[in-house]
Formats: sequence, structure tokens, C-alpha cells
Amino acid sequence: MNTRLPTILAIAACALASVALAAEPANNEALTKAAVANLTKPQFSPYAGRNFPTRVLWGDTHLHTAISVDAGTMCRVGQEDAFRFARGEEITTTHGLRARLSRPLDFLVISDHAEMYGLMPQLLSGDPEILATEKGRKWYNELTSGDNDRVFATAMEIVASLSKKDPPIKSDQAVRNAWRAYTALADKYNEPGRFSAIIGFEYTTMGGNNLHRNVLFRGDATAANRLVPFSQFDSQNPEDLWRFLAKFQQDTGAEVLAIPHNGNLSNGRMFSVETFDGKPLSRELAELRASLEPIVEVTQIKGDSEAHPMLSPNDEFADYETWDRSNLNGTEVKKPGMLQYEYAREALKTGLKLERKLGVNPFKFGMIGSTDSHTGMATAEEENFFGKHSGVEPEPHRWEHEVIAAPDPKLTVMGWQQAASGYAAVWAADNTREAIFDAMKRKETYATTGSRMTVRFFGGWDFTAADAQSRLPAGVGYAKGVPMGGDLRQAPAGKAPSFLVAAMKDAYSGNLDRIQIVKGWMDADGNTREQVYDVVWSGDRKPGADGKLPPVGNTVNVAKATWDNSIGAPELISVWTDPDFDAKQSAFYYARVIEIPTPRWTAYEAQRFGVKMAADVPMTTQERAYTSPIWYTPST
Amino acid sequence: MNRKPMDRVGRLLREPLLHFLLIGMALFAAYGMLQQPGDGEPGEIVVTQGQIEHLAAAFARTWQRPPTPAELAGLVRDRVREEVYYREAIAMGLDRDDTVIRRRLRQKMEFISDDIAAQREPTEAELRAYLQAHPETFRVEPRYSFTQVYLNPQRHRDLADDAARLLARLNEPAADTDPAALGDALMLEPQFEAMPASDVASLFGAPFAAALAGLAPGQWQGPVASGYGVHLVRVSERTAGDLPALADVRAQVLREWTNARRMEANEQFYQGLLKRYIVTVEGPEATAESDDLALNKAP
Repeated sequence: MNTRLPTILAIAACALASVALAAEPANNEALTKAAVANLTKPQFSPYAGRNFPTRVLWGDTHLHTAISVDAGTMCRVGQEDAFRFARGEEITTTHGLRARLSRPLDFLVISDHAEMYGLMPQLLSGDPEILATEKGRKWYNELTSGDNDRVFATAMEIVASLSKKDPPIKSDQAVRNAWRAYTALADKYNEPGRFSAIIGFEYTTMGGNNLHRNVLFRGDATAANRLVPFSQFDSQNPEDLWRFLAKFQQDTGAEVLAIPHNGNLSNGRMFSVETFDGKPLSRELAELRASLEPIVEVTQIKGDSEAHPMLSPNDEFADYETWDRSNLNGTEVKKPGMLQYEYAREALKTGLKLERKLGVNPFKFGMIGSTDSHTGMATAEEENFFGKHSGVEPEPHRWEHEVIAAPDPKLTVMGWQQAASGYAAVWAADNTREAIFDAMKRKETYATTGSRMTVRFFGGWDFTAADAQSRLPAGVGYAKGVPMGGDLRQAPAGKAPSFLVAAMKDAYSGNLDRIQIVKGWMDADGNTREQVYDVVWSGDRKPGADGKLPPVGNTVNVAKATWDNSIGAPELISVWTDPDFDAKQSAFYYARVIEIPTPRWTAYEAQRFGVKMAADVPMTTQERAYTSPIWYTPST
Repeated sequence: MNRKPMDRVGRLLREPLLHFLLIGMALFAAYGMLQQPGDGEPGEIVVTQGQIEHLAAAFARTWQRPPTPAELAGLVRDRVREEVYYREAIAMGLDRDDTVIRRRLRQKMEFISDDIAAQREPTEAELRAYLQAHPETFRVEPRYSFTQVYLNPQRHRDLADDAARLLARLNEPAADTDPAALGDALMLEPQFEAMPASDVASLFGAPFAAALAGLAPGQWQGPVASGYGVHLVRVSERTAGDLPALADVRAQVLREWTNARRMEANEQFYQGLLKRYIVTVEGPEATAESDDLALNKAP
């Protein structure tokens, strides 16, 4: 097939960029406080009173199927198969391969594009309501012409249409039907305790400049059916999405949240300090963003948005699966000045500044990862990676196929640049829609690049080295501090915050290299600063003269796509106290866990298909996790 | 997509194109044999009172008023024109090489096939039978209650030896032996209650879960390898997986039954039609030899 087609489709998929604005949190610590009350009273049974989450839940909040207008031009995996696949069942891919996950996910959000929701399958099946529209008739004729160049041109046109003000095909009835069919299907696959089918859609505004967000519902179809997906054709301004959602919550009593993604492709727009129209940010808007957007998707197939090497020159791990040459579809080149408004760490720092100015921190967000796959398959594992869209599913040459074709070939993204990333880890006490949603609201979540390591992170004023001897750090963590996503206030005189951090490897992946704590703060002059601390690591390595810990080593055999766990550690745990704390300065802290090197998906692909890839294609990776931050806010 | 069967039927029934096709077919059936169109003999087109009422009703739905006599006459004239073109087009075979029409017709057949499959609700007996026939799909997983002591391979020069000694100690415990304090630290609960086998596999790795199935309850045993290292394990209770009562899984059984019926009926429908044809594939060898794929499988 025409190799450019996948690219275009990929672009379309990406058109859903998100702007993440985190607001002053609702301080959702009810669970923590209850846990503390119980824990401080010793019980005879060590398991009594443990009402905090004991097992992390894994999911993907960002998956597209054939229902999405872009994916639908190539992907044949529908929503039902997407649910089945995430639950651990085997399905047949668009290209006819048999596929299943190494282990099931605990939850899934099928977030098909709101724009022309469900119209692509109806278009391809020749639905009379769609064919009655001028565009529908034309696209149908082109897409079924059997001429690859015409199909490609039409796919390009469809992608481009996502950035325009008016929908090329408008059929409210068809959209409503497709949306209701989806919410009913989600209810059917939702099994409390086993698998949560959380209802959602993607708002895909500003196509190429990616202010996209996924909207998630706490409730079932009854709640979700009270709207039809809000799309960029309703408004290209994300602020209007927030207003719409706020009103929806108010009118119906239902609860929703929005998750921005791919700040890295927004060309300086995702974490802008101005409104959509270029005016100074208001307190009202900051509050709206913070309340509706508690978490941000910071890692996915289209690159990692945690940190950028130019913004964090002293962080040797900042350059991870970086996509920084242009916006989403390669129509606007990236300028260095844009980066500061794109990456999560910088946005968290900017949030501290805005909080001082506005009284509210619009960027007070937690972190998750997800795939944004357009194949109907939530794959993020290196040895089981099905790619961004159905144009680049596994085959010998996908590494050199275009994923996103830009007008200027220099900005075109090639298959090998896809990151097999990521998943959302959620500390919820039960596997239900409601418990997962609530955990996201209180930001008790972390992002991984696909590996399923267990990470605990607690902040408080009284953690001591002995707490790291605990075999179950959660007990002491909840008793003496707040979990990831929480807040520290009112520093006791003379005390610095201490953090209990622990990580256990993924049973199916590599050992752990190290745990770092990333601190961002605003200094006395009102400038934001950052520092990455190595807090615990494997083996007996000593930091060098430059303060840097030597690399952990590398056991990867690229040719065979294997590694062994002779280096690294299965578990790391430590208590760390901020050595440079100033109680007058606001700050945030989050943990970053790094695995030992393991084969990247490209190495598995080269080995399986016996192909030789270009020398600049990376063949190893160090999977990682980013926790939601814990914020310290000085008393005023 | 999951439309309710009745919706699907209803939608199909409401489709003007279907009406048209049905009318067309009826006309053919009635008059086609008498008057072959295009062969020089005049064909006959009858616009019945019922059809006229239908045209008027469709007009009224759109315009919220009945058509005037002139408008109605126009509608009828147009229907006749459409009918003439339709018949002539079919006669000229214009439908045969048109991708749009071919796909549309195929889709209509699939709709019909789907509707045949999904027309009725299953009886309780059918659901029960389906449950019995597919125990693996609905089986409640085996569950394990177990205690584990972890050994980190990096901390032991002779892992096997240390594991053996620890095992002996666990099986002849002193009064103060606390398994939760033995072995090396790992962020895993020392004790798991009634954990489903698939959760064990997710957390410890599939080989560990498989090994657990072979351990007799009661004794400390091992070492058992996991994704973290090795463990000494005492299974205190194993609940065999069993088949739940229909009442407990009715929704899942209904979902699977409906899905299976649909696929089966679609396949039957297709295979029934396929019997009317002798299929010859003249393609390259690769295509021809995969006749299984080409002929017998649903797309």
C-alpha cells in the first residue's frame, strides 16, 4: 500500500492535542485521612484497617478504533474488539495477525475522536445519511476508488479538515447514534472488580497544534448519553470545552475530567501563560483548568513530554523519545522558545509562578502515560508493539515507513521514531470506574513508558531512614504523610520535607537502575529552578566528581533482542530529605524511576524479521516511571 | 458497532433505498417476465395508489405539509423516470462494475444476515447450554491463598543453599518464627488471600502462577522462580475454579451467546449462498492455494 497513507492517518490521529492546565486541587485527601485515622490505632491483625490501595491498577486512557475518523480510514478493529483485547483476549489485527497482551489491563478508555464521531464506518458502509452530504459522497467515492493516490489524497484532506472550523460532514443524528452505541457497549464490558470500561472521547482541537484532550466520565451511559461529544467544530477554544464541561456537571450532576496530551507537539501552546486569544490568564480560567484537568498524559507513542534536554541541560535522562522538530503534522517548525510551554516539568514550574500571580496554580497536575494508539490495540510493551496506526503495524519495513508525512520531508516522522509507550498507573482501592476516576481527581497516579513497575511516593515532615526498612512502605507512608498528588503546607519550624519513595520492578521487565527525585521551586527572586537528585540506586556505584552517578551498565544483546537482570535491583527504597529546603519558597517534588537498559521495540523487530536498520535507529531503551508531584506551598 | 437488532431492522425498513429495491423487485416479479425492458417490446410501469400515498407521505415529512396536486404529479413523474433509468441501468449491467453499488448491496446482505442472526432472545435453557459448552470462557478462576518469602538472587552467593536452609526453618518453626520478617525485602504483601490465578500471573509472572497450581497446600515449598527472584511459598488454600451458576454470569453469557450466534448465523448464511456457486480462483499460485482463506472464511 502507499506508504504515505499511514503517515497521514497518524497525523490525523494526533490532531487531538491537549492543553493541560491544572488548577488548585480540591485537596482530595479523604481517603488518606481516613487511612491515617485507622493506622495510628494499632490493630491486632496487621491487615485490619488497611483501606488504602494495595495494588496499582494499569490502564490506557487514550485509545482509538475504527470509529475515529482518521483511524477509520485504515483500522478495521472496532470498539468491541478493542475492549476484548485490553481485557486480555486474543483478537485479529487489521493486518490479519493474531495478537494479545502479555497480561490484561485493569481499565481502558476508548477515546475516539469527537469530530465526526462514528462517521467513518458509516461513510465506508455507504450510509445514505452520510452519502447525502456533498463531502460524504466525494470521500466515499475516493476512498473506495481502489486508487492509492486518491485514497491518500483523501486521507490527507480528512486530516486537514480536523483543523477547520466547520465539519465537512455534519450529521447530528449519525453522531448521536454512534455515541450511544459506544456508551452501551462500554456498559456491557464494564465489570466492577475485574475490568473498568471508562467512557470517554477525544476533543481534537487545532489539529496540527495539538491542544487535544481526552474527556473521561465517572458514570455510565446514562450520564454520558446526556451529551454528544464536544468537538472542535463546536469550538476550537479549549476554554469553551471547560465551560461546556463545567455546565454539564452542574446541569446533570455527572462528573467528568479532561486529560491533555502531547504538549511536545503543541508548538508552544499547551502550557501557555496566556488565554487562547492571547490575553493574560485570568484567575477564573486558571481555576476552571485546575478543576477539570487534574492529570496530564506525559508519555505516549508520539514522544515523551516529561522533560526536554534544552530546558533541563543538567538532566542526562531528559532526552527520552524526544519529538521536537515541529508541531504534530509537521506544518510548523519548532522554535526553541516554544519548548518552555510544552513540557510537563517546565509547566509545573510555571504553575508556581502563576500561582503567585493569580492565587491559583492552573498547572497543578498529576501524571499518567497512555498509548494514543489508532490500531484499536492498547500496546505499549517493547516486545509486543503494534504501533501508532494501522499503516505501521508490524512488518519488516515499518521502521522506515512514514508515520507522519510532513509537507517538508525533513519534518516527516519515520516508523522507528515511534515510542512503545505508555500506560497509566492508578492507586485506586477498587477496580471500578468510580474509584479510578476519583484517584485521577486526587492525582494518585503515575506514568510509565509501558513497563509496569510499582511505585510508591509519600511526602511528610517526619519520615526517617528507618521507614525505608519497612517491607510495606504504604502503611507508614499513608500514616505519616501524603501520597503522590498530595499537598504539604505549614512547614514545622526548622524542618525540611522528607519523602519515602519505593519502587519494585515489573515482573516481566528489567531490573531498576535508580530512583530520582525531581524538585522544582521558585527562588527568592521569583525565578523557577529545578534539580534532579539521585536518591537510591542499585549496586555499589558512587557519584563521580560531577555529582553524577555512573551508568548502571548494559546487558542487552541487540542481535538477539535479549537482556538479563544481572545488573540493577528488583526493588529500591529510600527516605530522602530535601537538603536545600526554604520554607518561604513554593516547590514540587516528583519521583522518576529508571530501569536498566532493555531491548527497544526496534531491536525485537530487527531480530524477528531479520532486517538491518539504519545506524541511527536506537536499539535499547531505559523504561521509566514519573509520579505525580507532591507540592509544598508556603503559608501566606 | 452494536446496534440493537430491532433498531437495525427498523433502520433498514425505513431506508428509502430498500423500499425502492423492494418495489423494483416486485415490479420485476410481476412484469419482468412479460416485458423484458430494452428488448424493443415496451415494458410496463404501474405506479400504484399505495406508492403514490408513500410519495406523498415522504414529501409531507420533509415539508410539514401535503404536496399540492402539481407537486404530487411531479413526484410521480420523477418516480417513473427513476424506475425507467433503474431498469435500463440494471439491464445494461451498470451495477456490476460499480464499487459503490457492490459494497452497498453486500452491506445490505450483511444487515439482513445480522438481523436473521439476532432476531430473538435466547431461552434460559439455551443460555445454560452455552455456559456448559464453554466452561473456559466463564469459569471462575482458581484462587490461591498463600504466604511467600522472597529471596533476592543478588544478595545470596549460594541461592539454592540459602533457600534450602530457610525452607527447613520455615517447616520446623520456632515459637518466634515470623515468615513476614524472613528472607529479603520486597514491596509485595507477604500474604495473599484468595487471589485469582490471573492476578498472580500479572504480579509474579506466568511461570510462578503455573508453579503455584502444582503446590500441595499446607507445607512450605520452593524455591519458586518469579519475575523478581525466587520465593518460598506456603499455599494455605486453593479454591478450584468452578463453573458459576447462570444467574451469576447471565449478562456475560448473554453477551457471548449473542456474539457467537451472530457469527455462526452469518457464516451459515454465507455458506448457504456460497453453495450456489462454483468458485474458481485463477490468480497467482499464492492466492489459489489459500482457497481455505478465500472461500470458506468470513471476511
